[in-house]
Amino acid sequence: MAAGFIGFEITWSKDVFSDAPQAGSAEKFGTLGINFRARKAVNEEEWTEAMAALSCEVPAQRSVEALAEKP
Amino acid sequence: MSDAVGEQLALDVGSLRQAIQEEYAEVASHPQKGFHFHTGRPLARMLEYADEWLEGIPESSIESFAGTGNPFSVGELLPGERVVDAGCGAGIDSMIAAKKVGPKGCVIGVDMTPTMLEKARYAAKEARLSNVEFREGYAEALPVDDGWADVVISNGVLNLMPDKSAALEEMSRVLKPGGRLQIGDILVQKAVPESAKRKIDLWTG
Repeated sequence: MAAGFIGFEITWSKDVFSDAPQAGSAEKFGTLGINFRARKAVNEEEWTEAMAALSCEVPAQRSVEALAEKP
Repeated sequence: MSDAVGEQLALDVGSLRQAIQEEYAEVASHPQKGFHFHTGRPLARMLEYADEWLEGIPESSIESFAGTGNPFSVGELLPGERVVDAGCGAGIDSMIAAKKVGPKGCVIGVDMTPTMLEKARYAAKEARLSNVEFREGYAEALPVDDGWADVVISNGVLNLMPDKSAALEEMSRVLKPGGRLQIGDILVQKAVPESAKRKIDLWTG
């Protein structure tokens, strides 16, 4: 996450716009109210570690034949 | 909100700020008017605010509540902590925070809409909360010292800023190392077309 924050987590979501007194664009875009939290890294080391943990490997795609052979 | 992001979006940032101020001045002055979002005590219930949090908070502040989430549900505020409320509106979240951190804690609410700040200051005085202060300013340029806060809260504000990175960087600046961000905001599940991002009425509605 940007700005030195780590541990980003959305903890809740809910449709909070339905039946509002005036019509708006919320429904058109599937807008939900959310709660989220994050924490500012304590130091550069924690930030670097968090960034490193974000990198991931995409598993090699197995062919349809291979999937059929070894479910 | 930076002019650069406004230019990227071909959006007049000044006009957007003015439109948002006008909309929320209406929420402050005429909260019963009816908006494209819910307001007041019914909204607080919908967002799962506990009744006891609202005890002692003047109705004049609660009626202009226009959050989209519940920053207090994602983590406890502890006695003695310092809290910044970015985009505090009429001050309901700032005052809840002030009650939670107690007399040894301190809360700074920041908002760009003078009418909202007037309501917030009046309500805090009515509620006899001396550990909360309201300052005029933008969330992208918080009038708070570096590393002052243990927690930054915000509710329904980030979505109104074209330059969300700038706002988050500013929140990071005012937080101590290890400080917490507890935010209520919105999430859109369908892509917003670039053309729509240039329509100011869509930002406010």
